[in-house]
Amino acid sequence: MDYEVVIGLEVHVELHTESKLFCSCPNHFTAEPNINICPVCLGFPGALPQMNREAVSKALIASLALNCEVALFSYFDRKNYFYPDMPKGYQISQYYVPIGSKGYLEIEDDGGHLKKVLIGRVHMEEDAGKLVHAVSGEYSMVDYNRAGVPLVEIVTDPDLRSPGEACRYLEQLKSILQYAMVSDCKMEEGSLRCDANISLRPLGSKSLGSKTELKNMNSFRAVERSLEHEIKRQKDILNCGKKVESQTLRWDEESQATIAMRGKLQAHDYRCFTDPELAPVELSSAEVEKARKNLPEMAEARAARFVSRLGLPEYDARVLTASRVMADYFESCLEFYNNTKAVSNWVMGEFAAQLNNAGIEADQCTFGPEHLVELLKMIDEKIISGKIAKDVLAKAFQTGRTPRQVVEEEGLLQISNHSELEAIIGKVIKENPASVENYRGGKTKVIGFLVGQVMKETGGKANPQLVNELLLEKLVE
Amino acid sequence: METERMTACRIAEAVNRAEVSAYRLVEKILDRCNHLNANLNLFVSIAGSEALEQANKVDGMVKNGRSLPLAGVPVVVKDDFCYSAKPTTYGSPAFKNFSSPFNAAAVDKLLDAGAVIIGKTNLDGMSMGSTTAFSPNGPTRNPWDVNLVAGSAGAAAVVSEPGLIALESDSGGALRQGASHCGVLGLRPSIGRVSRYGLNVFSSSFGQAGIIASAATDLSVVLKVISGFDYRDASTALCNSTADQVADITKPEQITIGWPENLIDNLDSDQHNIFGQALENIQVKGFKLAKLSISYFPEALRAYHVIACAEASSNLSRYDGVRFGQAALAENLEELYFKSRRLTFGPEARRRSIFGTFLLSKGNFDLYYRQALKVWKLVRQEFSAVLDQCDLLLLPVVKNLPYPVAEQVDFLELYEGDLFCAPVSLAGLPAVSIPAGKADHLPLGLQLVGPPFSDELLIEAASRIMTNMTMPPGVS
Repeated sequence: MDYEVVIGLEVHVELHTESKLFCSCPNHFTAEPNINICPVCLGFPGALPQMNREAVSKALIASLALNCEVALFSYFDRKNYFYPDMPKGYQISQYYVPIGSKGYLEIEDDGGHLKKVLIGRVHMEEDAGKLVHAVSGEYSMVDYNRAGVPLVEIVTDPDLRSPGEACRYLEQLKSILQYAMVSDCKMEEGSLRCDANISLRPLGSKSLGSKTELKNMNSFRAVERSLEHEIKRQKDILNCGKKVESQTLRWDEESQATIAMRGKLQAHDYRCFTDPELAPVELSSAEVEKARKNLPEMAEARAARFVSRLGLPEYDARVLTASRVMADYFESCLEFYNNTKAVSNWVMGEFAAQLNNAGIEADQCTFGPEHLVELLKMIDEKIISGKIAKDVLAKAFQTGRTPRQVVEEEGLLQISNHSELEAIIGKVIKENPASVENYRGGKTKVIGFLVGQVMKETGGKANPQLVNELLLEKLVE
Repeated sequence: METERMTACRIAEAVNRAEVSAYRLVEKILDRCNHLNANLNLFVSIAGSEALEQANKVDGMVKNGRSLPLAGVPVVVKDDFCYSAKPTTYGSPAFKNFSSPFNAAAVDKLLDAGAVIIGKTNLDGMSMGSTTAFSPNGPTRNPWDVNLVAGSAGAAAVVSEPGLIALESDSGGALRQGASHCGVLGLRPSIGRVSRYGLNVFSSSFGQAGIIASAATDLSVVLKVISGFDYRDASTALCNSTADQVADITKPEQITIGWPENLIDNLDSDQHNIFGQALENIQVKGFKLAKLSISYFPEALRAYHVIACAEASSNLSRYDGVRFGQAALAENLEELYFKSRRLTFGPEARRRSIFGTFLLSKGNFDLYYRQALKVWKLVRQEFSAVLDQCDLLLLPVVKNLPYPVAEQVDFLELYEGDLFCAPVSLAGLPAVSIPAGKADHLPLGLQLVGPPFSDELLIEAASRIMTNMTMPPGVS
């Protein structure tokens, strides 16, 4: 039987604020445990929460950027459950009235058509701490640095029809939230986390099949793989005439499989009620309209500007603006250097490749815009060849040295010395008499081969243009 | 200086004028409190050296020309307020060594005003109750009759030592009922007047920081000191516009005190008599009286308990043995929770926690919690309508005289004891419990209730209406 895949995503995004949601502890990622803590975020007896207006502003911006209706009055509720990473024994969240609702964002569906993905709700809540388990398994430790960090949870309707669509939604969501400066959305650091609900139904059916919930996916690729895996698993079950059990599954990166966590029968009753220690979240319509007017330039607008103002090809503009940090990186380069297309080629090509390998974003590497510009200028000044420049970029990126340091320390300076090159060319001509014969017989294309031989002799350091010139001179002699 | 008929205001005056040293005074008070404690079980801890140190500091400031509103005034603090110099036990055996890393806002304000904290007073486990019978340290005895409970250790201390102030908490009426049982004044201020930061409350909607004193002037001075906006307590945002109110009753005939005839008819004869005397007294003092009726008391009491228990189940969830308190040795997480919470909770905290969990759970939420919220709204509306017909409202405080210390009282009967107090908490109104007379050898109070932020008017009216009490014979 043919099935239709039905996917809904719940995405948690850490808001990029100075302090936590209900106290003045810094909201910074730190490796040292239990540094950013206070009586409030540890739930000490007698401590009371104080609302962080900056977090409310960011949640408002997120809601507007996702085309939501904004509630002028919303509330914080308590979601009660016990876990050591949850200091108060409840999570403060917006259960009954979220700040944003009925929003959407647009993605391309699998057929390449524009499609609206409905966003049911955007609500604020506090993050939990982290458990660190001892290797021996004998004990666990808790790090509360993250406890109380402001989050927004963004929940879609079951509108997505394939793992590919889910990934495109996530990419688009990430782009919007990054552009809106709401969050840095780094899945690897946990500032963007995604849970997926997935079910299958016979093609053409209107009712929803029983769903499973997928957790613990630490990258977009993991989301895609786990959804694909789950589709196959559910298909196999349905094809055997059995029923899919409604349960929560954990994606296991190592085995590339989903593993059952708990059945819905054991699901929590969170006993949500409005938090009596917090005032309602009040927004004035003036405040909302101001935020709407001040929404930052989004990816599409920035790409359009790159095309119209900078003369970039459409393709380049789209690739560069896929993430705000990448587009920022690109534009920073242009402050020091005006060959727009060269910057674009290098940012999209070698630089992006290095980021990909390292699994980081443009603002997380030591290879800054000034370094890329330094590299491009060395090519312009014929200090290094373009080919060598690729290696230099890689080495500089990976070691944290500047491109100039790499070139100097590794002796990669381009050989533009006539006599040095002439000697090598003489050697190549002597060793390849057949090719020389061919050239002189009119097969001028062999020059490419001969240039290649010279480059090989010099370890790629020869100035290729000069080699070409000198070779021609020798061959016509 | 005679301590009899002493008031906090007179102590502060004398200390500010350097007529008496705070140090000497505190030495005497500490002696006296140790003695009282032996008979009445008032304190969880006495802050001897800390109190003397603070007294010294106050004397030094006075010597440097400073004048402090509560210079040298001895204060006892209920053990649900955080005070980092001493353990904050919250009436839990698992917290007998718990030091809070910070002081409650009200405690800090008292210290800044020159008050001297003498000790932490006894309380029911997690402040749940109006008797102190649920204290792990045993009940506090009533100075008027040591075979009976005091209801509030702070009230027992104040009546035994006039001039002493007690910082107390009140949810369903513990402060007001204790004041009645001991024959002193007890103020439950308007929501938002006094910051609750650092006060452990099992119910966030109803738990309030309040004051017990033997003189009305003391109430108003202390209220002025501890009230005000505090960014750490969202409810105090309401307080901004009402700072430094003064109420001056020059023409009592312009003030109408309402009384609910339908409630009074059902009182026992002692209470009925005292209520009647109070009405006469009010007329004698020149106030106008208005007979009216309030219907929602029984419903309000039940709604109060539903909401308070629901909140308690959530507020007490933080006591899991992971971060503070005494953690039990356990093999796994569930066992840690189970055993640690067993260590932490007394029977009443356990009961309310379980009740609350039940009330909020799926299926029961709509049946009980949501219904209680509706009643809450109705009660607020009714009180608001009643207070349109009068300026202040006179109500009973207690349903019963204090229980014998040895008596095991059914918990439902204890809940019913909040009949006159909890509805006022539910309505979110300020109230002051005032000594009104004696039934047999025991004092009995009544409460004046006013609209939000009428605290000063309440205190001023209380000072006119209250009966002056003698000291309990056993303690003087």
